[in-house]
Amino acid sequence: MDHLKAINQKARRIQEHVAPPGGGSAAAGGAPVPSPLPADPGDLDVVGLESREGPHIPLGCSLVFAPGWEVDSTGGTAGLCQPVERDLFDCHLACFWPAHVPDQLNHAPDWTGKCAAAQKDWRKIDLIFP
Amino acid sequence: MKRLALQVGGAAVPLLLLAPAFASAQESGADTTNTGIPVTDQLVIDSCDRCHAVDDDGMMTRVSYMRKTPEGWQQSIRRMVTLNDVELDPEVARDIVRYLSDSHGLAPEELRPGRFEVERRLIDWSYEESHEGDEDVDRVCSSCHSMGRVVIQRRTKEEWDLLMAMHRGYYPLSDTQGFRRFGPPAPGATDTRQPMDKAVAELSGKFPLTTAQWTSWSATMRPPRLAGTWALKGHDPGKGPIYGMVEISEAADGADFTTRVSYAYARSGEQVEREGRAIIYTGYQWRGRSFEGADAMSVLREVMMVERGWGEINGRWFAGDYDEFGPDVTLLRADGPVVLGLHPVAMRSGSTTTVTVHGVNLPTGLGTADLDLGPGVEVVSVARSDSEVLAAEVTASDNAAVGARDVFLAGRPVPGHLTVYETVDRILVTPEAGMARLGGGAFPKGFAQFEATAFSDGPDGKPETDDDLNLGFVDVEWSMEEYSAIFDDDDIEYVGTLGTDGLFQPALDGPNPNRDGLRNNVGDVWTVATYRGPDGKEVRGRAHLIVTVPLYMRWEPWRVQEMPIPRRRTSDMGNER
Repeated sequence: MDHLKAINQKARRIQEHVAPPGGGSAAAGGAPVPSPLPADPGDLDVVGLESREGPHIPLGCSLVFAPGWEVDSTGGTAGLCQPVERDLFDCHLACFWPAHVPDQLNHAPDWTGKCAAAQKDWRKIDLIFP
Repeated sequence: MKRLALQVGGAAVPLLLLAPAFASAQESGADTTNTGIPVTDQLVIDSCDRCHAVDDDGMMTRVSYMRKTPEGWQQSIRRMVTLNDVELDPEVARDIVRYLSDSHGLAPEELRPGRFEVERRLIDWSYEESHEGDEDVDRVCSSCHSMGRVVIQRRTKEEWDLLMAMHRGYYPLSDTQGFRRFGPPAPGATDTRQPMDKAVAELSGKFPLTTAQWTSWSATMRPPRLAGTWALKGHDPGKGPIYGMVEISEAADGADFTTRVSYAYARSGEQVEREGRAIIYTGYQWRGRSFEGADAMSVLREVMMVERGWGEINGRWFAGDYDEFGPDVTLLRADGPVVLGLHPVAMRSGSTTTVTVHGVNLPTGLGTADLDLGPGVEVVSVARSDSEVLAAEVTASDNAAVGARDVFLAGRPVPGHLTVYETVDRILVTPEAGMARLGGGAFPKGFAQFEATAFSDGPDGKPETDDDLNLGFVDVEWSMEEYSAIFDDDDIEYVGTLGTDGLFQPALDGPNPNRDGLRNNVGDVWTVATYRGPDGKEVRGRAHLIVTVPLYMRWEPWRVQEMPIPRRRTSDMGNER
């Protein structure tokens, strides 16, 4: 919240509401209220999509169809990342689904070398036999 | 990229037998000892000791502390070649696979629960049910690959740890994708371990290096003597039962055995002749290939187990880019007469049909009195009676007792039963959950074969109860229906076609410009079987079919780029949308 500044009445009310008791109050005349400083200055940093508990998992459509490459989390195909070619390069680079997609780290560093965009050049992607 | 074409039938290598190095065996419990299996083969030592040191006791780092299938060892060697700059001639690699499979292999009892993995079966299987396994452990491994790959390995605890480390090193994201997914446990949980820690503990307990089964098997393992005549029975999904014969001979070259196979489809009468070669690993693991004449496209891989007693061999023969085609087979030693089964296995009361009894070395010239189908089912005439088939016209009277009845041929029991029924009440479509993969553009198609089995409700008149009568494989009319997963679901227009023989042919891979969001032709549909009885009554059954994306990486160790394209799909490489 430290990076945000309330610019209307509703926002100021919200700010006041979330402020801890004794941490600050709305000044007369509706002047902006300074946010209470967090106990840990490191908490000022806000990183997009960051998860503070557990490992950081980059958000991508791969998450949508866990637990499997073939099916989505409901056991069907409606939630698969589509078209799959949109997701392939991310999987390749991150070694996601290494049992299904060639990994860029070891087995197939040049797998995507022949295609600038898999959605257009998908016929140029090779099937890899390690 | 370097590739190894490891094929059955390489240079001649004697089957090496090793006494186990360990004196004591333990049934279960984490194998935390450092007792390993010495590597004594000089070829293996010379090929591997650049990285894997051998100590004074003959223990080779890593290799001495794990046991695997031939496919497992083959995969390890391929990884050494592709990622660790090992250079091996294919012949040497074959010999190494053979030595390690024999001396660092699995006992039959150890392989059996996970044999579906090497037999390449697409089945519903649960690690929790099969091995009383932990759900988190299952998830750690099967987030990426089959649990079957895991349960057919044996390692010390340190080796299971190192296997985790290998995954982390080669595939860093596996740490979050599987090893620590959904962890750590919630505050207050009694078990505070991460899923990967549970996995190492459980796997080293359930699948330790040292087991009573392996100690016993490896101490007395020997090459099985299989030469001779064998009777063959099997089931080819979509085509029905097969019956025939296999002549197994000792091979003069790198293989252990050569085979001459002849069988016929009971439904169609279609005859098949094949010739093959096979190696036996670990004293019981049959790995072979067979062909129709010189036609490389007709290849079937053979993965079977030779049962103790050397009287039966069973497993699966398969082909296809995703190993989706091919029969389940059982071979029975046929020193004398062997009766294999009959076809069809059911008939309606009040009907007349031709029943065939199949076998090897059957008595010939039999008459109507030699086929005993029990009261109410009369043998009208015998059209054929030779050493392999007896064919008879049979009539079931209107009041023949409903149910399964024993059948005898010249006094010998015929395996299975003839079931007399009144109505077909239920159609079961199998597999109940099928999967096909888009292909034909850049990647191969993965087909799905469905078949229909009829049931009668039995005496209680209720479906799906213990007294239901299985009436066997029946002819049906196939169609597809939408499996509605979302509003306005239209998968059925894109996924592919279902043939009159129950074979689903998936559509083209790649983004479809005619579909919303360039979606691939993926989708969920019902495959519907409609059976029509003689009275015109329709009975329907259906199965869920998932048509999904291809695999872009293939790990099966025998699969190489030069592999021929099986004939059954070359005509299906069109550009249909």
